This record gives sequence, structure tokens and C-alpha cells, in this order.
Amino acid sequence: MKEKAAALPVPREGKEPAPLGRSGAGTIGGSVPRPRTFFMEQRDLGSFSLPPSLRAKLVAAGFQTSQEVLDVRPCELSKEIGVSKQEALEILQVIRGDCCGNGGSSGNTARKYTALELLEKEQDQGFIVTFCSALDDVLGGGVHLTKVTEICGAPGVGKTQLCMQLAVDVQFPECFGGLAGEAVFIDTEGSFMVDRVVDMASACVQHCQLIAEVHPEEGHQAALETFTLENILSHIYYFRCHDYVELLAQVYLLPDFLSEHPKVRLVVIDGIAFPFRHDFEDLSLRTRLLNGLAQQLITIANDHTLAVVLTNQMTTRIGQSHSSLVPALGESWGHAATIRIILHWENKQRLATLYKSPSQKESAVPYCVTPQGFRDIQLPPPDLAENKTNPRKRPREEEQ
Amino acid sequence: MILRVGLCLGLTAEMVQQLKDNGVRTVMDLVSSDLEMIARKCSLSYKALVAVRRVLLAQFSSFPVNGADVYEELKSSTAILSTGSKSLDKLLDGGLYTGEVMEFTGSPGSGKTQACLHIAANVSKSLKQGVLYIDSTGGFTATRLLQLLQGRTEAEEGQVEALQRIQVTRVFDAYRLLDVLHEFRSTVAQEVIRASAPVKILVVDSVSAVICPLLGSRQPDGMALMMHVARELKTLAKELGVAVVVTNHVTRDASSGQIKPALGRSWSFVPSSRVLLENGKESCGKTSGCRIASLTKSPRQTTGFSSLNPLLYGSSHSGAALVSSPFVPRLFVRVTNARPRLPTLPWQWSPPLRIVWLAGRARGGAWRPGSASARPGPRPLLSRWLSQSEFGLLWRRTRSGGEEGRRTDP
Repeated sequence: MKEKAAALPVPREGKEPAPLGRSGAGTIGGSVPRPRTFFMEQRDLGSFSLPPSLRAKLVAAGFQTSQEVLDVRPCELSKEIGVSKQEALEILQVIRGDCCGNGGSSGNTARKYTALELLEKEQDQGFIVTFCSALDDVLGGGVHLTKVTEICGAPGVGKTQLCMQLAVDVQFPECFGGLAGEAVFIDTEGSFMVDRVVDMASACVQHCQLIAEVHPEEGHQAALETFTLENILSHIYYFRCHDYVELLAQVYLLPDFLSEHPKVRLVVIDGIAFPFRHDFEDLSLRTRLLNGLAQQLITIANDHTLAVVLTNQMTTRIGQSHSSLVPALGESWGHAATIRIILHWENKQRLATLYKSPSQKESAVPYCVTPQGFRDIQLPPPDLAENKTNPRKRPREEEQ
Repeated sequence: MILRVGLCLGLTAEMVQQLKDNGVRTVMDLVSSDLEMIARKCSLSYKALVAVRRVLLAQFSSFPVNGADVYEELKSSTAILSTGSKSLDKLLDGGLYTGEVMEFTGSPGSGKTQACLHIAANVSKSLKQGVLYIDSTGGFTATRLLQLLQGRTEAEEGQVEALQRIQVTRVFDAYRLLDVLHEFRSTVAQEVIRASAPVKILVVDSVSAVICPLLGSRQPDGMALMMHVARELKTLAKELGVAVVVTNHVTRDASSGQIKPALGRSWSFVPSSRVLLENGKESCGKTSGCRIASLTKSPRQTTGFSSLNPLLYGSSHSGAALVSSPFVPRLFVRVTNARPRLPTLPWQWSPPLRIVWLAGRARGGAWRPGSASARPGPRPLLSRWLSQSEFGLLWRRTRSGGEEGRRTDP
């Protein structure tokens, strides 16, 4: 089968660049033997991430494929196309790095995994629980790491509450089945209420103390010593962005911040829609920025093994027969998030609907927002909390 | 291609230097310019220049290939890979053809990633072929893939083997995507990685996620880059004999309010077949797991001209208790006559394949000029290989074997 596939381009391969690609490279290309392949040398220059000005100069000088450039030394290249030696060297580095596969910055992204390795990875990394066990079940355990989750909903339905809850939950100590991570909270709407976070955090601490009392294990007490209100609050990094420029700048600077704070497991952007819903006359620019933002977010999520949670507003789509409430920012933004949850009201009941997920079935579950935070519906909050969480906690602890 | 010594016979170093000094740098420049002028300007021999040009032209032109040979080639190199869903196979005339690019498009949550995972699982498990899965949206979920495999086989070794045959790469921008595609092409060409099964299918989920950030609002590079990706995918499909599956987003048409595939018209020429996936909520009542796939472009099947082939497949969710039990990974279908909402586009037939068909017919003796009306549409000839063979891979081999098959064609 392989021979057949390889035999396909025979007529071209036979006569086209045989003298260039193989023997020619040795005689003309200089003394450096490069482990390059035939196909890579033929790669078009347009497919390299070179600055447009330099690319234009290369093309004007007649260079078309990477092989032609690689056969030239930096000094010759700088003379040939009229750029500084530094730039010529950079061009060569970009092309050579890309050509040789995983060199330099492309190292981790171009890595190939088998699905088996990814399965192991996926099963190793935990979830961020939401404290609403029904929602956790629907999501397949909680909010997934390395995924972008979007929470859509009308005002006042509990989007920000869920975000704040997650920012607290991500810090759960490992011995209680949490991630012991930290959270980045990017706020565009100014809706972050620190007193609500205090409520939720103290409820969490209290909850852990209850668990520790019921299941006295070593480690629990030690973990509880560090799992305090002050610690929780100090491990939420809060950024306030006033417009879309600030938001974009913040997101593009985030990788640096994340390398300094490797324990961050959650990035919340509360209000992705707000800065993008006004001040935009050029809608195609908005679409492009949003698409770029989406790719940047999934890159961050993947590189730093963290969960990205966005909130989005709802808007009315006017149809021919009836109008419906749909998430804002348009059709193409709908593809940005891997997982989409829509929060809505139905008969005075708050419902969370999983609208899109690569691994879970779509379904709707009720939830409520209590003084302690985001919770399951059926519980009168204070003393039953323990009963509710134990069955959910136990399997996770067994796994570890 | 830059002119240089050793490029062809008779091109000497001083010639190259002289030409370069006079602004003739590339083969293109030399071939397209007036040789007499150059000969005078560079004080080179006109004869030598003509000779060099002739050699260059011969070197860079392509061979004419006999249509019959192309057909033979096609028969020996093309495989039809079953998608694992009978209805989808029917829609695609047997399955995924190697050497072609197929596109799934659809709104968020319409099941594009599910379809990709489903195909990956089937090709890896049932057909025992390798899969390269390029994930650019973070949608690849190995857990879900495992569920799909568990629905196919109980044996854990089988699942593990199938998982190992699927290679996954995560890329989040277009340049990295091109890097990966190039690397893939070179590794296959070099036959470096031969430990595992040969990759027969390449999934890019999604291609628009990496290209969309570059398009729109005066970005000239975006278009060029998109065409690079397109050319790369097509070359990969043809040269390495893999079936390429890509997913595309949909956008809403500003004027009509209808959904249409993203990436615009120039991309619409790239995939040879396009399948639109839709949430079937409106058309099949309360069953929300129901999805509709309709063919909007195909080189073989009739699409929107007369009747589309919309089909329903349950999105394979069998119950609420999803977390514990793997849900049944079957795509099941009922062919209906419901009209799809996407306006169908008039570019239906891909010219190269059509030529191949005609050539093959002439050779097989079934087709004569004038008898074309006897068999409307070029479809039946190809479908005679759509029978079962081992691993479900249908290799087109013999001309003679085809004759009986043709009669059984409906």
C-alpha cells in the first residue's frame, strides 16, 4: 500500500528537482549538512511566519521555496535581498527551525501524542467541581481542564456567581479531591463582589472542616491549616479590564503571568461580550479579534493545563416567525468555546443546560444560588451540605 | 526557482552572474523574457540561452498522462474508508475516498467533532488503519473516543490498539498547522514512522478556527495562508493517498439570515464533498439528540439539484446516566425528503474525477460516444467496488472484476 502511495507522484518526482534537492544541496548549499527532506525543501515561503515586509523582499528577489533560502548563507542573503544581517539570520532561523520540525518554540505544540497517551493525561487531570452535583454530573465531573467553557445567560441568572464559586473551588486541597490550584479572574463588567467570595470561601472552609470531622484522616488537618479564608482570597488574582483593548492586552500577556504562577488552574473572564458589544463599527474586525482571542485562550488552556471559563450575555435573534434568546457575539463565536452552558429561568427555577460538549450528552439540570454559593436545588443549605457532598467526594478520593 | 549553477546543463556560473546583474534571477524571468534582448544586454550567446531555455522548459513542464493510466492508477491507489455509519456512507457514496478532502460544516453543537471522533474510531478500530487527528479547538476528548471504542469492542486490548493508532496533534494557529502538515508529509514520504499502521485518514478539526483569526478587515495575508492550507491538504490527499476530513464553522449571512459555511467562496472549492450537519430539533420534533446531515457538494452523488439526501442520525446519546455508561456510539439513519435549509451551490462536479470516469468507461468498453444517455450521471461505474472486502477497505483492482459488479448496480 505504501509503495502505491509513494508511487503516485512518480512522473513529477523523477524529473523535477532531483539535481536540486539531493545532490545539488551538497555542492552548492555549503558545508553544513542539514538533515532536510525533499518535501520540506519545497515548502513555499508564504507558509512561514515571516514578517510581511521581509517576505515581500524575499519574493521580489525570486525566492519561492524554503530550500532556495536555506542554500544561501546569512551574509549572502542580506546582500541579496537588501536587509540587515540580523534580519537575514532571523529569516534563516525561522525557516530552518520550522523545517527541522520541532526546533525552538514550536516544540510543544507540534508534539504528536497517541490517543492512548491523551486518555491517560485526561484521566490524570482532575476537574473543578461546581458544588452543584447535578451540574457536575452533566459536565462529566466538573469543569474540565484544558478546555474552554462558556457560560451564557440572562442578567441575574447566576453567571458571575458560578464564576466566583469556581474561583474558590479550584483551590480545594488535594486531599479533599480538589486541585489545590489558583485562579485568575478577569473582570470586564465590574461585577466581581469580594464579599460574595468571602461568603463562598468560608462556606467551603466550613465544608472541609465538616469532612475532616466525619472522616478524620491524617493530612486533612494539615491541609485545613493552609486552606483558610485569607489564603483563598490571596490566591485569586483579580484583573479589571475596562475595554476590549485592555482585555486583549491582558489575555495576550497572560502566558507570562501564568509561567510565574504555575499553580493557576482556572482563568475566568467574566463578561467576554461586554467590551465587544459596543464601540465596534467594523464588525469584521470584531470577528477577527474574537476569533484570535478564542485561539489564544485555547492555547493558554492547553499549554498551562488550566480551565478557561468565559461568561457571555444573551441577545435576541429576530426570526421570521418567532424570536429567540441566543448567546451574544454571533454565530461564529459559538464555535470558540469547547463547552457551552446556558443558564436560564424556567418557572421560577434556575436551569443550567449543557448546550455543546465534545464528550457529554446535552441536558438540563436545576440549580440554585444560595448565600453559600452555587448549589444543588433540593438542599436546604446549611446542615445537609455534608450529606450531599460526601457521595460525590468519595469516588474521587478512591481514584487518587 | 532561482537560476543557479547546476540547475541545468549549460548554465554556467558566469552566465548566472551575468543574468543576475541584468535582473534575470529566476527561471520564470528567463523563460518569460525576450532572449534576444537578454543576449545583447548580457553579451551572452543567443544560442546558449535558447538551449538553456529549452532544457529548463523540459525540466519544469509536466508529462502528459494517458487517461487510461490515470484510471489504472486511481483504481490501484484509491480506497473507500467506511465512516462506520451506514447512512453517512450512503450519503458519501460508500464512505471517505482517499485522495479527497471532505468537509463537515455546521453550527455549534451540531456534532462536527462527534462525526470526526466517530470516523477516527471506526477507521482505527474496524479498518485497523492509522489516523492523524489535528485538533485546533481543544475539542478532541480521549474519554469520548474511548466510549466510542467501547461501543465497538469489549476487548481492552482492541481498544488500546485502536487508541494507539490514532495520533493527535494540537495546533492553535495556522503556521503551526502548516508545520504539522509538512512534517506529516515528509515523514510519510521518508517512511520514517513505520512502526504503526500507515495513516490513511487525516482529520483537521477545525480548519476555520485557525484561519478565521487571520481573515477579515484588510488582512491580505489571511487569504494567502488559507490557500496554502488548502493546497497542502489537497496535495497530502493526492500524493499520500489519505482521506482528509476537515470541519468548518458556519456564519450567518448578513442579508438573508441563513447560515452558510465560513471561510467564504474561495474555500468552497477546496473540499470535494461537503456535508452540512444540523441540529434536528425543528424537523424531528422533540427528540433533541437527532441530527441531520445533508450533502451540499459532492463529485459523485446528486445534491441539491433534485433531491438532497438528508439523513438523520441520533447523536448517540442513550440516556441521562452518561457518566457511568458509555453511550451507544451508533449513527443511525433514516433517509427523508426533507429539504435542507442551506441553499445548494451550483459547483457540483469536480473536473479531474470526471475525466477519469470518462477515460475508464472508454476503456472498459461500456461507454461509447452516443450511448451516454443510457446511463445518466457518471456515478454507477465507481460504485461497483462498493462491496465488502477484508478490513472494509475497498481497493479497486481489476478491470475485469468490475464487469459483473456493474450489473448489480441499481
